[in-house]
Amino acid sequence: MQIPIRIIGITTTFFWIFLIAFFVSAVYSVKDLHINFDEPQLNVTADNKIVFSLPLTITNNGFYSLGDFNLTTQISDAESFVIASGTTFMPIINRDEAATVTHNVTIDFNELLQHDMHFLFNDTELKICEIVGMKIAEMVPIQASTNYSMPWGAPLYNFALGQPQYLVANLTHLQVNLPISFENHAFFNVTGNLKIQMYNNASLLLGEGQISMDVLQQSSYDGIVEFYVLRSEITDNGYLEVSILTPIFNYEDLVISYGR
Amino acid sequence: MADNKTKLRQITFKALKATVKGILFYAAYLLLWMFLAPLSQLIPSFQQIIETFVIVYIILMIVGDLTSGTIFKHFFDASKALFIICYLILSLKGGIFSLSYENLSLIVDLRPLIAIVTLLSLLGFAKSILQAINFLNEKAERLQI
Repeated sequence: MQIPIRIIGITTTFFWIFLIAFFVSAVYSVKDLHINFDEPQLNVTADNKIVFSLPLTITNNGFYSLGDFNLTTQISDAESFVIASGTTFMPIINRDEAATVTHNVTIDFNELLQHDMHFLFNDTELKICEIVGMKIAEMVPIQASTNYSMPWGAPLYNFALGQPQYLVANLTHLQVNLPISFENHAFFNVTGNLKIQMYNNASLLLGEGQISMDVLQQSSYDGIVEFYVLRSEITDNGYLEVSILTPIFNYEDLVISYGR
Repeated sequence: MADNKTKLRQITFKALKATVKGILFYAAYLLLWMFLAPLSQLIPSFQQIIETFVIVYIILMIVGDLTSGTIFKHFFDASKALFIICYLILSLKGGIFSLSYENLSLIVDLRPLIAIVTLLSLLGFAKSILQAINFLNEKAERLQI
């Protein structure tokens, strides 16, 4: 009986020493782990998607390798609706190694507008949740998360159509001049076409016109759309349907009334 | 008279042994704490958790050594093993340790570590039970002789 008891005693003592040494050295080596986040950026890709980029450098000078390093970003609006999310995963970061990665989250602006068109017209704040997870010494999982917000500038801020101005074109037609103005608060240029369809109060299409736009970021736009309508079909009031077609977003549901 | 003297010598030896073991254990704790100290800045309650653990463990160790040669030593050894399991599970809230600082929250999953500690402690517990059985066996044999 004495020998098995001694063997159990020696084995447990050995494992206790090993476990304590491992735990202490793993905790101690965390202080030599550095994760540096650079300035987050919003860009537009070649296929016209908005990309949130976060460059980061992980320097592991600890005693052990890091396993299952993952960074997840969740972008949501003020009502906590998740607009986009993305994950960057690195299976292993060996000790005495530095890894540099760019964590990207792609936002499809058209999908975003289907959820909420206010992103087109109103400046707001995007809530960003960053979750970093890893296994210290490839064994102890830890997870850190933080929240911050990022301003969202609307590409068609303060969008307004002026009252239609009618000029006599000939006996049957009138030329309509429709003033358009907005401010591009977005981080991208608004380049594309703006199409206007004018309807009278009987929902009869009177005429349509379009204008090309190339509005630089953080600048305002003032333009006039010109088109011709039949004199006989004009009423005191009606509505205008506005379609905006750009490589980044398309919006066709804007209806604005005119007249009394 | 001589019997009393031997008993006194035994008790003194046990007390001395327990004191030396206690001091060595505390010295080992102080040495390891130097490496764990940065963690206490991050987790304010960490030092208190560890210190309480070390104090109770040393007390159980000293009492166990003072009662060596009796069945109570094995009871204290077994309680030491059970104390490690219970204290770690309770103080580390089941192994998921979380804390928040401003808008940063940190979650450490210590369940794999606790599983290993529990297994080792159960081995220690089994060892204490076996030692108690062995002690009673030997005592019974001595009585028969």
